[in-house]
Amino acid sequence: MGKRKTEFEFSAGLRWTHWIRAVSIFALTVSGFYLAYVFISPETSDEPVLFLNAKFRMWHEIIGFVLIAVTIFKSYLFLADRVSIKERVAFWDLVNPKIWYQQIMYYLFLGKHPELKGAYNPIQFLAYIGLYAMVFLICVTGVILYAHSYHEGLGGVLLGFVRPLEAWMGGLSMVREIHHIAMWAILIFVPVHIYMAIFNSIMGKEGSIDAIISGYRFNKTDKH
Amino acid sequence: MEHTELYQKLTDRLSKLEKFPRIKEEKSIATLMDEHGISRRDFMKWAAGMTAMLSLPSTFTPLMAQAAELTDRLPVVWLHMAECTGCSESLLRSDAPTIDSLIFDHISLEYHETVMAAAGWQAEHNLESALERFKGKLILMVEGGIPAGDSQFYLTVGPHGQTGQESARKAADAAAAIFAIGSCSSFGGIQAAYPNPTNAQPLSKITNKPVINVPGCPPSEKNIVGNVLHYILFGTLPALDAYNRPKWAYGMRIHDLCERRGHFDAGEFVQQFGDEGAKKGYCLYKVGCKGPYTFNNCSRERFNQHTSWPVQAGHGCIGCSEPDFWDNMGPFEEPLGSRLYHTVYGEGADKTADKVGVALLTATAVGIAAHAAIAAVKGSPKNDEE
Repeated sequence: MGKRKTEFEFSAGLRWTHWIRAVSIFALTVSGFYLAYVFISPETSDEPVLFLNAKFRMWHEIIGFVLIAVTIFKSYLFLADRVSIKERVAFWDLVNPKIWYQQIMYYLFLGKHPELKGAYNPIQFLAYIGLYAMVFLICVTGVILYAHSYHEGLGGVLLGFVRPLEAWMGGLSMVREIHHIAMWAILIFVPVHIYMAIFNSIMGKEGSIDAIISGYRFNKTDKH
Repeated sequence: MEHTELYQKLTDRLSKLEKFPRIKEEKSIATLMDEHGISRRDFMKWAAGMTAMLSLPSTFTPLMAQAAELTDRLPVVWLHMAECTGCSESLLRSDAPTIDSLIFDHISLEYHETVMAAAGWQAEHNLESALERFKGKLILMVEGGIPAGDSQFYLTVGPHGQTGQESARKAADAAAAIFAIGSCSSFGGIQAAYPNPTNAQPLSKITNKPVINVPGCPPSEKNIVGNVLHYILFGTLPALDAYNRPKWAYGMRIHDLCERRGHFDAGEFVQQFGDEGAKKGYCLYKVGCKGPYTFNNCSRERFNQHTSWPVQAGHGCIGCSEPDFWDNMGPFEEPLGSRLYHTVYGEGADKTADKVGVALLTATAVGIAAHAAIAAVKGSPKNDEE
């Protein structure tokens, strides 16, 4: 193995929002399943002071706000941050049929990994765009549902804005359904994402998993 | 203690008190009664009633009469904190001057914010000189809850801009006996009810000295005067229950001596106000009577010269002499089974989430702005790190 070249690929903001997003997706899934199926009941008490559902709902709402916050911040980074230019230039790989062909051949073990301009290969980038579409969708539907459970403060402010969206989606039950479907889309993304990350780490040997922790990737050759 | 022994002890105490100088050179209680058309016989009947109320044998009636006559030997300071003056009203607003209110007139009342003639600096001076002159001798009666600690400024009184907490503490330091009159000064009252915005506290939290609580909203005039007479007779503090309430007044529940108790035992209940049961005077338990949880002597002593009291008038007891009754006894017209509970996490799950959400989104906006500003100034040096 020749000399390694380190490359600063992922900014601190990107890495932090990635892991916060990961943890919040997990917590939101667990608390969200409770809210949907109410599968735990507290020890019974003759006084109605346990409020288990309210507690779950509160944490679901709070972590939901965490997800919204990191999504907004990450979207800003994607659009404006200088380090994130590697994310933005991945768009040119995305629209390049040659790269698509090489990438598919690589995954079928029939060719070499294409040389990319950006941080993501086209399949990967498309998956992330899909993930973000789902995250935006789950955040918006979540805010609609939230504005109906709290009518003052932020909930009250948001209600006026999200009401037309709610009508457009076909009423609150449809909003709830879309929220649920978006969750499943994200849940399907997660294992595929983890599998592909491990696959690329093993096949590429460029420290691609390390990049999301330390920010640095180790290139065998000069690519960029 | 044997009755004769106690009788002797009280006689000694009264003759000792009699030697104290009168504080005000005014008419004796006998002349006062005479002027207001109250006969000696009425007075003795009243004295017998008070004796019975304090659970003393009827042979002690002359001592009680003598104690009432000696009420001008003890200086009283009455302070108003955060309250409605209902407790003073309970004592003073009777259809005619009662013996209780006459005794209140007869007491050497050195300072009482609502009934004194003095105002401003003069009033302030009266209080200061009373605390100075009668240090260690005066009886302090405090009405009202006391906003304490960081929010004590909510109650600021007088030309010196003294907070209620300061003036209560000063007066308590000078007092021989301290009575918290009414539920507010005993337990905090309505201003201490959830969420207690002014951090109102009972008098007992303000001073380290023992405080006798005479709760009620308002307490009956009998319970107020009874405490003064008890102190004059015994010179000591009365036997107290767990909440520092005199046992002679708060030893039993409203329910125990209620005139509608028979209907309770018979299972005859008012189902809703105005129904047949209400007309027949059935038990008010199902329309929210809190008599079973409330220790007071209303069912025996009643209010307004023994005329009537809430249960007699057809409304259940609301438990006004119990700690935190505004929070614990509601809803007042439904049984405790329908009690309303505070929501989770103080403000409610969704409100808490809303606050966190606002904070997070604000932090995000600040983060974006800060990042954009720093990026604009510094450029992107990390690209060159290799």
